[in-house]
Amino acid sequence: MAQKRRIGVYVCYCGGNISDYVNVEEVAEAVRNDPNVIVSKTHMFTCSDAAQQEIIDEIQAEKLDGLVIASCSPKLHMFTFRGMSKRADLNQYQYVHVNLREQCSWVHTNDKTGATKKGISMVRAGIAKCVLTVPLNAIRIETKPRVLVVGAGVSGMRAAISLADMGLAVFLIEREAEVGGWALQTGKMGPEAQEGTDVVAKLLARINQHENIMLHTQAEVIGKSGNIGDFNVSVRLPGDESLSLNVGAIVVTTGFEPYTPEPDEFGWNAPGVIPLKDFRQMLAETDGSLVYNGKPVRDVAFIYCVGSRQSKSESCTEPNTYCSRYCCMATTYTATLLHDLEKKTGQPVNQYHLYRDVRTYGALEPLYEKARTGGAIFLRWDPSDPPKVSTEAGQLTVKAKDHLLDGEELEIGADLVVLATGMRPRENATLNDVLKIPESKDGFYNEIHLKLRPVETMIDGVFIAGTAQGPKTLAESVASALAAVAKTGGLLMKGYVDLEPLIAKVDPDKCIWCGECLKACPYGAIEKINVGEKEIAFVIESMCKGAGPCVPVCPHDAIEIEGFRDDQIVAMIDASIKELEEK
Amino acid sequence: MPLPTKDILGILADNLNQRKSVLPMSEAKTTRWAKGLDLPMGGKTIIYTGHMYQLIPVIDAMAGQMSKLEDTPITKMMGLGRFANKFVNMTFFMGLLASKTEQADYDRMLRNIALLLKKAGVDFGYLYGEEMYSGALVYDEGIDGSFAKHAQRVCDLFKKHGVTKVITVDPHTTHTLRTAYPQFVDGFDVEVKSYLEVLAESGLEPTQQLDEALTLHDSCLYARQEGVVDQPRELLGKAGVKMNEPDLCRKNTHCCGGPLESLFPAESHRIAGNRIDQLKEAGENITTMCPICLVGLRKAAKGTVQVNDISDTLAKAYGV
Amino acid sequence: MPKVSSKLAAAVKCSEEFNADACMHCGTCTAVCPMGYEILPRKLFRYVQVGLEDKVKENISSIYSCLLCGMCSENCPAEVNIPENIRFLRKYINENEFNLS
Repeated sequence: MAQKRRIGVYVCYCGGNISDYVNVEEVAEAVRNDPNVIVSKTHMFTCSDAAQQEIIDEIQAEKLDGLVIASCSPKLHMFTFRGMSKRADLNQYQYVHVNLREQCSWVHTNDKTGATKKGISMVRAGIAKCVLTVPLNAIRIETKPRVLVVGAGVSGMRAAISLADMGLAVFLIEREAEVGGWALQTGKMGPEAQEGTDVVAKLLARINQHENIMLHTQAEVIGKSGNIGDFNVSVRLPGDESLSLNVGAIVVTTGFEPYTPEPDEFGWNAPGVIPLKDFRQMLAETDGSLVYNGKPVRDVAFIYCVGSRQSKSESCTEPNTYCSRYCCMATTYTATLLHDLEKKTGQPVNQYHLYRDVRTYGALEPLYEKARTGGAIFLRWDPSDPPKVSTEAGQLTVKAKDHLLDGEELEIGADLVVLATGMRPRENATLNDVLKIPESKDGFYNEIHLKLRPVETMIDGVFIAGTAQGPKTLAESVASALAAVAKTGGLLMKGYVDLEPLIAKVDPDKCIWCGECLKACPYGAIEKINVGEKEIAFVIESMCKGAGPCVPVCPHDAIEIEGFRDDQIVAMIDASIKELEEK
Repeated sequence: MPLPTKDILGILADNLNQRKSVLPMSEAKTTRWAKGLDLPMGGKTIIYTGHMYQLIPVIDAMAGQMSKLEDTPITKMMGLGRFANKFVNMTFFMGLLASKTEQADYDRMLRNIALLLKKAGVDFGYLYGEEMYSGALVYDEGIDGSFAKHAQRVCDLFKKHGVTKVITVDPHTTHTLRTAYPQFVDGFDVEVKSYLEVLAESGLEPTQQLDEALTLHDSCLYARQEGVVDQPRELLGKAGVKMNEPDLCRKNTHCCGGPLESLFPAESHRIAGNRIDQLKEAGENITTMCPICLVGLRKAAKGTVQVNDISDTLAKAYGV
Repeated sequence: MPKVSSKLAAAVKCSEEFNADACMHCGTCTAVCPMGYEILPRKLFRYVQVGLEDKVKENISSIYSCLLCGMCSENCPAEVNIPENIRFLRKYINENEFNLS
């Protein structure tokens, strides 16, 4: 046994949440005589201000050097008690949290005696771990007040402006010669009838005026090194020039690729079958009635969900299973534009909308309502029996079943078949090689958690926004761009970042560099270094997350995670089975 | 084989176009009810029967003949009938078959209505032989061209006599004049009210309390289109009449089937049968406020239950 | 297979009278219809909206069987004026099939 410690143990009632099933007094009593325990007490609510102050006073009066709190989940109050330890001048990594609520009382409501026994075991294990704690300090990294934004579509432009407004220096780079991305081709966008080109022009004017933004077009990221707060990025410029940038964070807004149908998908390649984008172009350019190939357009069939929400089949081996989110809005909005044209010309155009589900969600439901009440006919199709597009004697024909007529089949003679094509992830081989942002199963860049940690990636300091992350409407893209701005600002405005010290640690004597840990690490936090003659593994502190896949693969037990060291784990197991051994 | 829709509609339209009514009748028949009432000819306010009550005995006689034709090969001859009808008023002969007692019955109802209005102090005239059918059936069947022309004729008639207010006696004429005419005749500004509305507004008091219960059948058009729901109840209620309401009443009233009599008699009788069953469940003494409901339900009741027009009950309670 | 008639679809679209666009196909109208025909009025209106003229012609007797009693529109949650729409259809048939106006 290591040298004796002075540990305080506090067991929480949690107002009955724990004490209704675990006899907390018995738990506190059971460990009171442990040689390392100086104080063992209970509290009704350990998290209350009064209880915290009492504990702080005791830490100082009794000169405690370790703390075990047996209460709720660490997700709820670990940071509360870390803060409390700090205020008591106790190293926060010498406090150990025992989850007596979620892992004991709540799951053993039918066995109070058993729950109490288990509670005692858990607290004993906590004490054993606490005995072996050492003081640790956060890893502090100075951050550079500069940001690289990759991709100057609307999301990237919008992000650049807001970052620059915060006083950060922004490098905005775009692969194409022109900024604006797909917004340049959308034409009028619903529901406010904004022109995509106007939106881009306004953003560009602000960018050009902003002294904090440096814009490079026809530029591409070709290399990256460094870590959160301090990246070095190489950018290739036109004419074989290159640029070296030192930035604190990277925001990736590389956008999407429109889906191109397969040769026979919904009559693709037949004359008169066109993507929504082209139809919108026709609408924008006409100053009278619609004409296609010299023929007036009287009947138009729109097919929704082309290239979205697919299922795997023989003809579709790599389906896009996701919803592309913008198409329902764009197509119903197109219906209203067509109604407007009708009113202007007095020439009726019959519209048939073959949809799967109309997902004009949020405040955009009125678009669907307007399309419908304007006279557009909506027919729902089932993925097991999609509409069939064919050309018979020069007449484009759509055959579909109408579920409102109990699946009766009907035939629509159409002058145009408009396909509402979805979004695909963009091909970015070079960038992917450089940034190594994990992709979702759909092929878009993956955020850590849709709700809890949006726009963040597994690579610290690299954020994603807009359709690079997944299909979005323009408004949603801008919202996510601004979320990325907030996250980036939060990271860089302080000037430094503190990282958890609970990370991997290599024992240079035991390590023989077999490379297993390098293969296991998903974060690229392991490097090979030379110490004298010897090759060993080295942990890049700023990149290690302390996740631990490197630990079990090491054949020589040369790598450990601080805070979860082997000796601590073994001691916890020993302590928790102490009673059994005594029997 | 059902009756040929096209030919029947053709006869109706031809009649309206040529003879100003879907089922033209002699003037003697349409005005007989007003004999001895001393109603002035014309006037600012007039009673307008639209020939509905007078037509019932004729329709009745005709429908009897028609439903005999339904499902017989003779229906194929209906086209010929339409051809002949252009030259000879076929329905005139149907009129000859109408029952005399039935005619007297319906004349009495109209007389009751006129007397009730008089008692309420309403000053009104009558257009006698110049009065025309409203065109209701042609409007319902969507023969809009013929209907529009006819509506204009009726409107011109009102103008000629300086009529500004019309008191109607049945829901079909009320609806056609009040709701349809303004859509077909530019600047149609004649005020149209049902006699039930006029009586309720007049504050007329009953002369005797009736210790009886009746089962009220609302007219679809009155209840749902023209807002005549509370007025008949108010008039009957004042006279102490207890009203049994069927499950489907007021704005959710059930149709009597009458509108189908001319094209689909069998279906019309089926609906009337359904309705009479519902009404019988609610109580006896069934009371209607539309001559079409009255005749349809009477036939469907087959004598198992009394069916009367509301004007008879009101006449009794208000002493006319 | 029934074909969509551009002509009927356009006539319905341009008409002031026929307006079943608010219909959400809940079927209340059919449930309360005294006639009790499957086609009246929801399914019939769908044929009309989609422009299936042949289907409309097949069902002429149903169209003239409507009582115009208004039970359906009284109970329609989308406030569609169903009897007026039936009148529109009769007018369309009278004019285009029966040469009547």
